[in-house]
Amino acid sequence: MMSSYTLRGWVTIGLFGALWGAVELTLGSVLHTVYPPLASTPLTGLVLSGIGVAIALTGRHFVPKRGSILLIGTVTALLKLLSVSGVKIGPVVAILVESLLMEAILWIAQTPRPWAFIVGGALAMGWNLPHMFIMPQLLLGKNATEAFGKIVQQGDQLLRLLGLNLSAASLVLIALLLAYLLAGAISGWGAWQLGDAVVRRLGTRGSTTNGGEH
Amino acid sequence: MTSLALVEIVFGLAWSRRGLQLLCSSRLWALILAVVMLGSLLIGEPSVTLGPLGLSREGFGAGLEMAGRALALTLAFSLGIGSLTLSDFVAVFDRMGLRGLGFATALALNLLGTLREMVTVTMQTIYLRGGMRRPWTALRLFLITTVANTLRYRDEIVNTATVRAFDPNDGRSPPLPLRRADLWLLAVLTGCTAVLLSLGMQ
Repeated sequence: MMSSYTLRGWVTIGLFGALWGAVELTLGSVLHTVYPPLASTPLTGLVLSGIGVAIALTGRHFVPKRGSILLIGTVTALLKLLSVSGVKIGPVVAILVESLLMEAILWIAQTPRPWAFIVGGALAMGWNLPHMFIMPQLLLGKNATEAFGKIVQQGDQLLRLLGLNLSAASLVLIALLLAYLLAGAISGWGAWQLGDAVVRRLGTRGSTTNGGEH
Repeated sequence: MTSLALVEIVFGLAWSRRGLQLLCSSRLWALILAVVMLGSLLIGEPSVTLGPLGLSREGFGAGLEMAGRALALTLAFSLGIGSLTLSDFVAVFDRMGLRGLGFATALALNLLGTLREMVTVTMQTIYLRGGMRRPWTALRLFLITTVANTLRYRDEIVNTATVRAFDPNDGRSPPLPLRRADLWLLAVLTGCTAVLLSLGMQ
């Protein structure tokens, strides 16, 4: 599969990986300083994933080959690992899983289509919600389940005091998931539009000299 | 977990001091402290009262276990990555027959600064030309310019690589010679794995 990539394809993968990496390293640092990791605010993930998903999908527009999004994600993850800001497992896992999900949807779609970009973007960003629960489980082990269960119980008691019940918490989670999915869908649609607009402006549509790459 | 963390620290002191820089991070220790506190507060029945807070011994132990696991995993990851340079990554990809991926990674790392500067210049140009009066148009122009400039860089790089006859799909790495030192290292690593597994079973 890898040998089907031309030099132009590899350079495009490197550059779009660098763009996503630059966003993760600059904007990510700013957002993590404003919203510390311990606060675990969903906003940081929403902004960073939204931009990252849009960049990766735009990159796919210019390297329309299987595996290109996964490769862009791999390059970004490696940049994140090699950055001077230190090693963080969570973002690296998130980047890889997001690119894998986008790649899976585009693999199902066979050829790049707007719906595949929208669904791929939505699914990739939707990963942010399970990520918030899965990563602590992986890092902290089985005791984390008990601690989280207790937090939910205490949250339920607090909600009862406010005249609400646990379904209110479920609603918050569902709303959060919908927000992620919607933001992802917008990112995917934006990436499709952006790729199209650039191709139109550069006038390279229909180029067949480089294996379908624009 | 303590023994694993100790093994990792010894490894770090011997081979990868950069990987140990993680231990100087105040964020890591804040996280560790938060996990221990959460364990004491949330797990088990309170056995010690500290003002309005009821702390449990069982929870403290569980918190320490969670913190130890998080520390050991993060440290292992940091040491593994800290002992590798970009050249090592490229060499590993080369050996795995993924020469293109190594090339793309090296390219991305070297062009990170250039791309960052390009994005800043684009943003400043749009700002100075009054783009902020129409934010949506400004955003659209910014995104199109950024992607178009990225593609322009791509063409320059492709031309440069082509004139040097570089082909990411070509070039086979010479076979890796297995020396006596490699076998010793393999034996030591197998021994360490067995010791850690037996400690984990206990």
